[in-house]
Amino acid sequence: MGYAMKTYLKLAWRNIWRNKRRTMITISAIVFAVMIAIIMQSVNRGSYEVMIDRMVSFNTGYVQIQDYRYKEESSLDNSFRYDDELREKVLNSDSRIDHIAPRIETFMLAANHMSTRGSIVFGKNPEKEKQFNDIENYLTEGRLFEMNEESAVIARGLANRLQLSVSDTLVLIGQGRFGMSASGLFEIVGILDHPVRQLNDNGVFMALDTAQYLLSADGYITGLIIAPRQERQTTAVASSLTDDLDGMELAVYTWPELLPELLELMEMDLATPRLLTFVLYVVIGFGFLGTILTMTLERMKEFGILLSVGMQRLKLAMVLFIEMLFISILGVVIGMAAAWLILVLIDPIVLTGDAAQAVIDMGYDPIIPMSFAADQFYRQGLFVFLIAVAVFIFPLLKISRLNILDAARA
Amino acid sequence: MAIVQTKNLSKVYNPDTVPVHALRDVSISIEKGEFTSIVGPSGSGKTTLLNMLGGLDKPSSGSVWVNGKEITSMKESDLIDFRLYNIGFVFQHYNLIPVFTAHENVSFIMLLQNRSKKEIKERADELLEEVGLGDRKNARPVEMSGGQQQRVAVARALASEPKFILADEPTANLDSTSAMNLLDIMSRMNREQNVTFVFSTHDQRVIDRARRVITMVDGAIHKDEYQNVEETKTG
Repeated sequence: MGYAMKTYLKLAWRNIWRNKRRTMITISAIVFAVMIAIIMQSVNRGSYEVMIDRMVSFNTGYVQIQDYRYKEESSLDNSFRYDDELREKVLNSDSRIDHIAPRIETFMLAANHMSTRGSIVFGKNPEKEKQFNDIENYLTEGRLFEMNEESAVIARGLANRLQLSVSDTLVLIGQGRFGMSASGLFEIVGILDHPVRQLNDNGVFMALDTAQYLLSADGYITGLIIAPRQERQTTAVASSLTDDLDGMELAVYTWPELLPELLELMEMDLATPRLLTFVLYVVIGFGFLGTILTMTLERMKEFGILLSVGMQRLKLAMVLFIEMLFISILGVVIGMAAAWLILVLIDPIVLTGDAAQAVIDMGYDPIIPMSFAADQFYRQGLFVFLIAVAVFIFPLLKISRLNILDAARA
Repeated sequence: MAIVQTKNLSKVYNPDTVPVHALRDVSISIEKGEFTSIVGPSGSGKTTLLNMLGGLDKPSSGSVWVNGKEITSMKESDLIDFRLYNIGFVFQHYNLIPVFTAHENVSFIMLLQNRSKKEIKERADELLEEVGLGDRKNARPVEMSGGQQQRVAVARALASEPKFILADEPTANLDSTSAMNLLDIMSRMNREQNVTFVFSTHDQRVIDRARRVITMVDGAIHKDEYQNVEETKTG
């Protein structure tokens, strides 16, 4: 940083402390707004993030390849062939791909000796699945299936409804690929409390090759789940895959494309805190404007003198803008730090009594987790910066229209 | 060559309503090294003339030439730069930057001229020594007396190495000792470094020290005379 810029920064920094009380009040208002905005959003987003995280790691994956018709019509007829060639092609498509896992998924009837329930049957490779999630930890009874094993693991909800337990036999009845009859008996080797509520109610999990055989779909899968090395690489990886798989009748989706309803629900829920945040910022914006208004008007003479002695209006405006940035940055940083500290202290909010029971009955943990998503922090900085830019219009106009003599006589 | 020159300079305020003739056809020429006082009663046009010389105000007619360049037709941004390199200002109320120390106030003008850090520091030190404030360089304006602040203002005006210095009533807010002290400094700089000073003043002490006295009445030059000055050191 040059000597001149250092001096301008020093000038701006000292100027904001010419009236300590006023600056402290303005900064406090920004701190308060930023803190409240972050906490409101964090509380609202926390639960959704847990849901989304579970859906992504236990169900959709960050990126998923499907037959191009499967999203519209989720039928085994719209499965696609998965062989070594495709596996290599996908793995070589982008160096940011960390691991992949093939899956087959279909709707079937699950039955015991007396009753029948609808279920979603997943054929998975247990070794590859372990790279995506810690599903084994959710086993409450028994063990996970192995490849080539004629067995199944069922979700707790389904087990309860069918009154099945480990070592019992599960009957699956349905339709395989291209209308082939699909039915079989499977020993239940494990029961798990699936973290995704819907899957806990009706999930059946078995080895991929076992499921493919059951569904007359040898070598076919309905989805190839892909994990990039880092979450932020999701879109880039999807884009590479889309290019490389062009012409193969395959479609590549990112998780937001596969979970639009959940995201919409979250956005709707966030509308209220966003509106409150907007109102809060409007109020803070006027407070900020008041400070800048006073800071500008009480220094008109000084500005006139600076222009007289040879300071260009642009440099003068720059110093004023730096002053506003200092106030904004201080407010935002302290506000973010305070919000983060409060979130760390209260995370998670543990529900008790009837509220807790109501949440448990809905299939969720009785806690309200806080979100620590980076964007809800830096967005507040962006909002305050935008307010500062808007407020800056006033001193900018004043400086651009400043009559040196009138100002110097002020 | 004249350092500063005006040709038929006139200024009329409110020309469309109640015209006030602040300057009437003023033509003067100030040579390098002059120590000039512009005197006259209130409303005689001293400050208006000074503002015109400094390029702070535009005339209704006529022109101002500084170091051979006509400044009356310059664009404002060019004029600001021109002032920065050619004209030094000393104001009645000192007008230092309150959050800067004496040293920083003097340095700031040179910084606007994009001089090197080393050069700025050395020259600011040197100028503060010259005005007798070498030991107060880290004091802020609020920590200094009026006389000290005005001496910093003189050092600031000199820092940019201007062609001439305009001083508007520089002693008006100073006690007698401080005023004489300031005049000593300015006289010495004029004498030793050939710095050109132009004052507007009511102060007889300043008038007595000026080698040229321009008297204005009703916006016109009434008298323009040179006088012998006995150099005395006071304070």
